Amino acid sequence: MTTQGHSKAIPLIALAGLAALFTASSLAAAEPDPAKIEFFEKKVRPILVGHCYACHSAETKPAGELRVDDRNGLLTGGNSGPAVVPGEPEKSLLLKRVTLEGKRRMPLEGAQLTEEQIATLTTWIKDGAVWPTLRVSVSVGKLNPEYEQLKKEHWAWQPLTSPKVPDVKDSAWPQTDVDRFLLAGLEAKNLKPVADADKLTLIRRVTYDLTGLPPTPAEIDAFLQDTSPTAFEKVVDRLLASPRFGEQWGRHWLDVARYGESTGPSRNIPYPHAWKYRDYVIDALNADVPFNRFVLEQIAGDLLPAADDAEANRLRIATGFLALGVKDVNQRFKIRFIMDNVDEQIDVVTRSILALTVSCARCHDHKFDPIPTSDYYSLAGIFTSTEIAAGLRNQMGGSGLAYYVPDMLVRLNGDVPPADPAEVERLQAEVAKAKKAWDAIRGTPEGLKPGPNGQPVQRRFRLAYERKLAELNALSDPAQRGLAAHGVRDAKVIADTEIRIYGEAEKLGPVVPRGYLTAFTVPDAKPVSADQSGRLELAQWLTSEQNPLTARVIVNRVWAHLFGQGIVSTVDNFGVTGDVPTHPELLDYLATNFMADGWSIKNLVRQLVLTRAYQLSSVSSPEAVAVDPANKLLWRHAPRRLTAEEIRDSILASAGVLELTRPDGSVVKEFQMREIRDNGPEAKQIHEAANASKHRSIYLPLLRGLTPKALEVFDPVEQTLVSGSRDTTTVPAQALFLLNAPFVRKQSLALAERLLSDASADDADRIQLAYRLILGREPNEQEIDRTSAFLSEFASAYVDNVVAVAAQPLPEDPEPNKADAAEIIDPDQADQSGVAIAEEVIRPNDARTAAWLAFVQALYASAEFRYVR
Amino acid sequence: MTLFSRRQVLKTASAGFGMVALAGLLGQQQAKATDKAAPNPLAPKKPHFPARAKRLIFIHMNGAMSQHDTFEYKPQLQKDDGKPGPYGGILAGSKFKFKQYGDSGAWFSELLPNLAQHADKMCFLRGLHTDTPAHPQATVQLHTGSANAALTRPSMGAWLLYGLGSENQDLPGYITINPPPNFGGAVNYGSAFLPAHFQGTRIDDRGNLPNLRPQVARDAQRKQLDLIQAMNRDFAAAPGAPDAVEGIIQSYELGFKMQGKVPELLDISTEPLKVQEAYGIDNPATASFARQCLMARRLNEAGVRFVEICQPGWDHHNNLHKGLINRCGSIDQPVAALLTNLEQRGLLEETLVLFGSEFGRLPTSQGVDGRDHNITGYPMFLVGAGVKRGFTYGATDEYGIKAIEGRMHTNDLHATLLALMGLDHEQLTYRYAGRDFRLTDVAGEVIEDIFA
Repeated sequence: MTTQGHSKAIPLIALAGLAALFTASSLAAAEPDPAKIEFFEKKVRPILVGHCYACHSAETKPAGELRVDDRNGLLTGGNSGPAVVPGEPEKSLLLKRVTLEGKRRMPLEGAQLTEEQIATLTTWIKDGAVWPTLRVSVSVGKLNPEYEQLKKEHWAWQPLTSPKVPDVKDSAWPQTDVDRFLLAGLEAKNLKPVADADKLTLIRRVTYDLTGLPPTPAEIDAFLQDTSPTAFEKVVDRLLASPRFGEQWGRHWLDVARYGESTGPSRNIPYPHAWKYRDYVIDALNADVPFNRFVLEQIAGDLLPAADDAEANRLRIATGFLALGVKDVNQRFKIRFIMDNVDEQIDVVTRSILALTVSCARCHDHKFDPIPTSDYYSLAGIFTSTEIAAGLRNQMGGSGLAYYVPDMLVRLNGDVPPADPAEVERLQAEVAKAKKAWDAIRGTPEGLKPGPNGQPVQRRFRLAYERKLAELNALSDPAQRGLAAHGVRDAKVIADTEIRIYGEAEKLGPVVPRGYLTAFTVPDAKPVSADQSGRLELAQWLTSEQNPLTARVIVNRVWAHLFGQGIVSTVDNFGVTGDVPTHPELLDYLATNFMADGWSIKNLVRQLVLTRAYQLSSVSSPEAVAVDPANKLLWRHAPRRLTAEEIRDSILASAGVLELTRPDGSVVKEFQMREIRDNGPEAKQIHEAANASKHRSIYLPLLRGLTPKALEVFDPVEQTLVSGSRDTTTVPAQALFLLNAPFVRKQSLALAERLLSDASADDADRIQLAYRLILGREPNEQEIDRTSAFLSEFASAYVDNVVAVAAQPLPEDPEPNKADAAEIIDPDQADQSGVAIAEEVIRPNDARTAAWLAFVQALYASAEFRYVR
Repeated sequence: MTLFSRRQVLKTASAGFGMVALAGLLGQQQAKATDKAAPNPLAPKKPHFPARAKRLIFIHMNGAMSQHDTFEYKPQLQKDDGKPGPYGGILAGSKFKFKQYGDSGAWFSELLPNLAQHADKMCFLRGLHTDTPAHPQATVQLHTGSANAALTRPSMGAWLLYGLGSENQDLPGYITINPPPNFGGAVNYGSAFLPAHFQGTRIDDRGNLPNLRPQVARDAQRKQLDLIQAMNRDFAAAPGAPDAVEGIIQSYELGFKMQGKVPELLDISTEPLKVQEAYGIDNPATASFARQCLMARRLNEAGVRFVEICQPGWDHHNNLHKGLINRCGSIDQPVAALLTNLEQRGLLEETLVLFGSEFGRLPTSQGVDGRDHNITGYPMFLVGAGVKRGFTYGATDEYGIKAIEGRMHTNDLHATLLALMGLDHEQLTYRYAGRDFRLTDVAGEVIEDIFA
C-alpha cells in the first residue's frame, strides 16, 4: 500500500542509532563523510541527472533495466551487470560505457561526457561511491508501546480455550453440543428458536450448501419417503461423498486463494497451467485432506517428501497458491516486482489462513494490530528466499513472449524424454546472440531509421530474436510437453531481507531475521531453517495446534458458508478492526474439536449441518426481530442468495444439460504466455468457450478481467482480492440477463422441449415437473392455474417476429491503431482492435414451445429460484 | 449504537418517505454504507458540501497525446529545436503551427482548430505529474488513484456513485464508452471492493449494452414479466422472505424500462441532422468519436453521473507527424461540438468536462519522428461547472519537461475533482480488509485556485 514517491516527511533520525535494535544490520555503517557527500551532491549527481536520468531513472523507463538515481540500482546494475563497483573504477561498467569508442558510447543521445566529468566519476567511485544515507523514521523498528497491551487484550490471538458446554433451560431442544451453545445465547436474551424447517426446504438447503446444485426430484422424493430418524444423516453422507462436494467447497477456497488464470490488471498474461491448481484444490476437498496438511502443501509442497512422481507433482502444483496472484509484469524495476509479489504472497497467506491484514505493515507499523514492520519483513525474507515459478519475469514493455521464461515454471515429473542437451545449448547460444543484437539496436537512432520496406531497421532484429526464441522454447520448454505448473521453489540465495523504508523497495533499512508474527506466540514453533527459504517452518507455525488463529479462522469460514454469517462476521479480518465473535466459546469449542478430529473439513461440515440450529426454518419472528434483528444469535436460519456459479449450474442442471465430468484442463491451456486484451481473439475464444460450456462453473475459464458472461451479473468473486464472502447486490443488469441473455433462453428452450416431448404427460404434469426441477417444490393449485392461463395467452398472442438482434451496421471507421501504426517500436504500444462475438438468437419452433420457454424462463427469473431458505 | 439499523431506515424510507428525506438520511450514514443487502444504494445522496458540479464527463485520450504538438506551446523549445535537452536527448520543436485564441490567448496548434475556439472556457492544469511512465500503470492510476498491482482499487466513477448515488434511477449512473481493452481493462471502471452496483457500465461506440435487446416482442415479454412479478410478490409475502425481494421486483421494472429507454437515448439518429453534422457523424474520419461525444451529451443530459469516452491510439513513439494529423482529426471537431452543444443546452452549468491523457510526452525527439513518455509535467484541461474560465493553473519549465509551478499529482487531481463534485476526498472512505480506503490513498490536496 505504498504511494511511491509521495510519502510525507515525518520526524526523522539517522538510521545508525537504530541498528542496535536488530540482530543483524547491513546498513549499520556510520554516517558517511560529509565532504564526500558534498562532492557527490555538487559534482556527481548533476552529471547523472543531466546525462543519464533521461533513460535510466525512476521517472523514465530504465533502459537496459539500469537505473542510476539509486545507489542500489547502480550496484546491482542492469542487464550487463553491476554498473558501479565501489572503490574499483576499473571494474565499473559505468565508466567503461561513457568512455567507449563507437556507437554504444553513453549517452547514446546528447553531448558526451567531458574529460573532467569522467574524472569526477572516477574519483567518486574510487572513494567508495558515497551516496547520502537514507534517513529512517523513528518508528521503524521501535516497538510500539501500545502493542504489548493489544497483545494481551485482543481476543483473537489469545490461546484457544476448552470451554464447557453450557447448561440450557430447554434441554429437549438441543440435538448437539453446538445447539447447547447457541440455545444458551438465545435463552440469555429470552429468545426461542423458531420451528424446524420442513423436509422439502431442508433437502434443498443442504444440497445447495454441500454441492452447489439443486436436489433432483428423485432425491427429494427419496428423502420425503424416508421416515427413519437417520433420513437426514443419510442425505448428508451421500452429499459429502459426492464429487460435487469438492467442486462447491473447492470454489470457496479458490475465492480465498484469489484464484485466477491470468496475471490481471496492467498486462494480462494467461497462466496456462493454473487449472492444475484448481483441480488439486477440488481433489483435496473431495479426499478430505486434513486442513493442516492442505495448508502445508500449498505453502511448502515442494519441500515435502513424496513417494512417487504423481505425489511429487501434486505437491508442486499445490504451491500454485503462492504463484497465481496478480502480477505487474510491466513493472520497470525488478526489485519492485519482487517486493510487490512478496507483498501479494504475504497478503494471501496471512488473510486466508490467519485472517490478519499483515500487508498493512509493509510501509509502517500496523495501525491497529500489533504487527510491526519488522514482522512484515521477517515474513518477507521467507518469500524473498523463494522464487515464484509462474513462468514470468518483469520487463518494461515488450510484445509477444517477452515476459515468458520457460525456466521459471515448475517442472513436473513425467516420462517424456528430455530434449537433446547439445541442441538446446546450440539454440541457447543463438538466442543470446540474437537478443544481444536486438538489444544493441533497439530504440537507437540507427534502429529507428526507416529501412527499405518503410519499417524501422530494428524490426528485423526483433523478429529474428523472437524466431530463435520460439525455436528454443519448442525444444526445451516443459510447458510444450504438458509437464509444467505455476508454483514456487526455494531461491538460489537464501537470506534475511531488509526493512524497506515506507515500503519503498529500493529504500533499505536494517536487516531483520526471517521469522513469524510476534503478535502471539506459538510455543512449539521451530525457527526458520538456515539453508531453506523457511516456508516449511512457516507452514508448520501456521498449522501448529498452538497457533491460536488458523483453526479458528477456517472453522469460522465453514460456519459462515452454512449459517450465512460467521461467528466472526468479518471472515477475512480477525484483527482489532474486525468484528468480535458472537459466540466466542462456541468458536473455541469448534476449533479445538476440529483439530482433535484431525482437521477434517468434511467432519466439521457434517457436525454443523446435523445440528438442530442448521435445520431451523427461515421463517421470521417479530419478537426475535425486535431483540436481534440481524439474527446474530441464530434464532432462525438465514435465507441466502445463490452465488453466480450456483445460479448458472442450477439452470444447466434443471434443464438436464449439465455435464458433470471434469473437463480436460481449461481453454486457457492452449494459450501462450503473451498479453491478451479483453476484446481480442483470445477473449473471443474464452467467451465462446464459456458460452458453449455445459460444465460446472468452477471449470469455466477464469482469467482476471474476463469474467464469463453467465457469471458477470451475480457478484462473481473479485479475482484480485482474498474474498471470504461474496457480495449480493440487486441490480437491473441481473433482470436483463435473466430476461434476455441467450444462455438463459437456450437452457429454457432445452427444458421446454424436454417437457413437451413427454407425450403421456398433460400440461399440469409438465408445470409440476418444471416447478420441482427448478424450485424444488410442487406448485399449488393457484400457481398451476396461473401458469396455464399464461401459457395459453402467451401462445395465442405469439408472433414469430423476433426483434432485429443485430445492431445496425455502420460504416467502418478507419481502425485507430492500424491507421497510423508502422512498426510498433515502443513495446508499450498495443493492438487494441476488437473482435466481435456474435450474439446467439434463441428461436423456438412454434408458439406453444415459445410459451413453455417463456414459462420456464420465468421460473429461472423468479426471486424464489435465486434463494435458498 | 444507533436506534435503527440502516436496513430498517431504508425499508421505512422506501415504503413511505420521499427521496429527499432518504437522501438526507443516507448522507449522514454514507461513510459507513456497507450494508450489502440494502435496497436502492444508488439513490441520490447528499454531498459533503454543496457541489459545484453535478455530473462529470471525462474525455480520455488513451496512449498519451503529445501536448507539445497540440496545446502546450513553448517558445523556447521552438527556438532551441535540435539542441541537446537539459536532461539528455535532442530537443524537437513542434512541426505544427501554433497561434493564440480568445481573450485568454491560449495557444493551440493547427491540429485542433475547432477545440481552440473554446479557449476562453478552458481551465488548464499545466503542472500535472504521475508516478509511472508506462501506459498500463498510469492508466490504472488515473482511474483508480493507485498503480499498486497487488491491491485493485475502485475506479473514480465507482467512488462518485458510492458518494453521490445516481440522479436517474432508470439508467446506470456510470457509463464508460469504448474503454481500453488492456492497460487495466475492466479495472479502470470496476468497483473492486466496493459493491458491484457502483461499477461502470461499459458500452461500445455503437451504443451496444449487454443483454439489453429482447429476443421477443415487447408485449409478449411484458406478459412474461407479469408472471415473474406475480411469483415474486407471492415470494415476498411468504413469512421470512429475504429483504432483497422488494429490490428484485424493482430491478425487473427498471430493467424492462431500460430496454426501451437506453436504446432510445443512445439512438443518435434522432438528433437533428444539423447537430449530427456538427459533431462529424457523417465524416468517416470523425464518425466513431462523434458518436461517442453525442452519446455522452445525451447520457449526461439524462442525468448519468459520470460518462467517460475514450479515443485510443496516441502513443506516437514514431509516426508522430502523420499519426497526430489522423488522431487530432478524429477528435477535434467532435469534442468541440460536444462543448458547444453542452453550453447551448445549459448543461455546462452543472457538468464538468475533463480532457486529457494518462501522461504526456517529452519535448525531445525519439527516433526519426517520435516522442517518448513524460510523467514529470504535462497538461489536461477542464471546462464547465465549478471551474474558472480562460484560466491556467500550474506550469512546466521552459521546455515543458518538468512541472515547476502548481504541481498536481494524480491524487491531487482526484481530490480536486471530488471536491468540485461536493465530496471531501478524506471523508469518502470505505472499510475493506480492516482499513478505510480512499480514492486518494493517503495523499491528495484540493486545488481551490481553480474554483470559479
